[in-house]
Amino acid sequence: MNYKSVSEVKERLAKADYICSKETSTVVFLAEATQKPILVEGPAGVGKTELAKAVSRSLGRELIRLQCYEGLDEAKALYEWEYAKQLLYTQMVKEKIHDVIAGASTISEAIDKIAGEEDAFFSERFIQPRPLLQAICTKEPVVLLIDEVDKSDPEFEAFLLEVLSDFQVSIPEIGTRQAIQIPFVVLTSNNYRDMSDALKRRCIHLYIDYPDRNLEITIVLLKIPNIKERLAEQLVDTIRKIRELDLKKKPSISETLDWAKSLIALQADELSTELIIDTLNVICKYKSDIERVKAQIKTISSQIGLK
Amino acid sequence: MIDMIQQFASCCRAAGLRISTSEVLDCFRHLQLIDISDEMQFKTTLRTNFIKNYREQGKFDQLYHLFFHELRTDIEIARSTPLGSLVKDVLENLDQNSVDNPSKSILDFLSGDPIGFLEEVRSIQSEGNEPMQGPIKGPRSNLGSLARRLKIMLQIYAVQESIMNFLAENKSKFSWETNKNLKTYFSQRLDRARRYLHEDPPAYPDNSSHVTSYEKYLTQIGERNFASLTPKEVDEMRIVIAHWVRKLKDTIGLRYSRNNRGIIDVKQTLRDTMKYYGVPLKISYRKRPKRKGKIVTLCDVSGSVWSAARFMLNMLYSLQECFAKVRSFVFVADMDEVTRIFENNDINEAIDKALKEAKISYNADTDYGSAFRNFKRSYMDALNKKTTLIIIGDGRSNYTNPEEDIFDEMREKCRRVVWLNPEPKVFWYTGDSEMRTYEVYCHQLRVCGNLNQLMDFINDLVL
Repeated sequence: MNYKSVSEVKERLAKADYICSKETSTVVFLAEATQKPILVEGPAGVGKTELAKAVSRSLGRELIRLQCYEGLDEAKALYEWEYAKQLLYTQMVKEKIHDVIAGASTISEAIDKIAGEEDAFFSERFIQPRPLLQAICTKEPVVLLIDEVDKSDPEFEAFLLEVLSDFQVSIPEIGTRQAIQIPFVVLTSNNYRDMSDALKRRCIHLYIDYPDRNLEITIVLLKIPNIKERLAEQLVDTIRKIRELDLKKKPSISETLDWAKSLIALQADELSTELIIDTLNVICKYKSDIERVKAQIKTISSQIGLK
Repeated sequence: MIDMIQQFASCCRAAGLRISTSEVLDCFRHLQLIDISDEMQFKTTLRTNFIKNYREQGKFDQLYHLFFHELRTDIEIARSTPLGSLVKDVLENLDQNSVDNPSKSILDFLSGDPIGFLEEVRSIQSEGNEPMQGPIKGPRSNLGSLARRLKIMLQIYAVQESIMNFLAENKSKFSWETNKNLKTYFSQRLDRARRYLHEDPPAYPDNSSHVTSYEKYLTQIGERNFASLTPKEVDEMRIVIAHWVRKLKDTIGLRYSRNNRGIIDVKQTLRDTMKYYGVPLKISYRKRPKRKGKIVTLCDVSGSVWSAARFMLNMLYSLQECFAKVRSFVFVADMDEVTRIFENNDINEAIDKALKEAKISYNADTDYGSAFRNFKRSYMDALNKKTTLIIIGDGRSNYTNPEEDIFDEMREKCRRVVWLNPEPKVFWYTGDSEMRTYEVYCHQLRVCGNLNQLMDFINDLVL
């Protein structure tokens, strides 16, 4: 089921447990309507990957995920020949070869006869599709998530181009495979390096930042249903203050949610300075960060008005 | 509508954003699908198509505001009210009267066509310090961009004055009220032009990682600031570095040898079986060639920065076999390559030699902009997609033109840009420091004031 309007996108993503800003929903709507890939950038942990998952849930499509890393190559992203299977088949049909060349009187005639059969070994049967080919070949449309595309090598980008602009894959032995259904493509990037202009031109761009206060509170209330509203507000205010500090890794939405969960587990109704210090290791992932927040905690809690 | 978007796109181009025709076409397609009366949707559609880089978002917001809020309302006035035709008359009159017309772009700006003006402002930044034309060849000035800005400002004032004169002369033609309206209209517009000239686009939240290191390798010497070392400690430092480099090399060697075992290369193995009637006697492994990065370092060799840079160069060259190539440049205001010196001499000798033999003047004031221009002219080919560019400097450029455009170009040419700053972070954005400007273009920024922080960095770089 496709989206009909921007507001519908927002509602349906919310139903799929993803609260987003109007900007995000507009971009998702446009991408779906015009079948263009989205390039999502933003700090770690703001829900870039989650967006793709939510889209797949709300559209009722399967999610195919390709995690990029340095050294990712065609064989792992596109397709690979199943050599072992080919080898086995060769062994098994070895005897048959005599039947094929039985009537041949000269060697060249025998080779011609074998050549007539050779396609059997380089056919669909022996291809092992990897995520990109899978996304193109499925009968039902899917959501294709190319995660952390900035981690891949520049060479990998080059053959992404063919897939993203024409939705086709060239396999030298067989030919070009055209997409049956055009997938909804989401690329995420942590800005480890810049993407090439050619790739950017084919995508529409979305920058997701840390959410504003109200949005973040809504997200907490939605994801942690039995949390008190007051606690959620205090929680979000504190997190936003901590984000302003100069930390190695700033707490993102996922940390907010983890923290909320652990506070619920501790059966806390209200935030206090001590409680923050006790649970700090949920929010900060580096020892040095924890120390830094501890040093500032008095100022933060007095600004928010905690006990 | 189509005209308007076209015009906006050319405005963006004039202001230095790269927008291709296909992107404009996509944008039209998208606009048909959304509800354009909702501004949020409209703006997002334009942004998602025109801006493919979070660093340019600030610039986009500024242009969008200028074009669709400030100029648009003016054009509305120009079309609908009788004031509009009067404005037009005044402008046409001015256009004819002025003999030589340097301020054409400003008059265009007043009538709602900002392209010329945007281009002029843009050229301030890109042409920067090209020597000013004219018969007088004074000392090479670094204030080119400031001077150009001033020129445009003066033009704006001149236009304002001539408009006011014109209105005063023709006072009798208009009623008191139209006269007042015209005056406010023009001065608002000119204010806008002036504001655009002054304002730099707001820096957008960047997520290039800031790395700070606290972990203590060596409690004593590791935490000492490079600048405050005694000669004896410098020697101690060298021993420590040598030790650590050896350890690091072992780790790297181990990693590569493990890599070599690799997975079976089925294709190659099958091909080899042909020799033995299909019996896999020899198994080949897929060996990945070592991925070695190329390193280009730019070192500010003025005073305090050099004390940090020398150790960093020491480490890099001790670890040379871990990289495909290390090229180094030193600069104050000019830039010179010192790679050769390092290749032909022992490291510690080379470091001393680099200071004496590089063809740069050490008495000049530090000027990052001019160093970048130098680099662009002579060494741009040193950068490619396998290069990591390391810059060591405090970013204190004595208020000269920072040339962030060239820096951006350099960033695009290489794989990663890392900025090492020997100053503690509290001082980064004070005084003549250009860190705020350059920060946006770096993939990583680090404080690098003592040995521990430097070792952290090298660890990250090679492992």
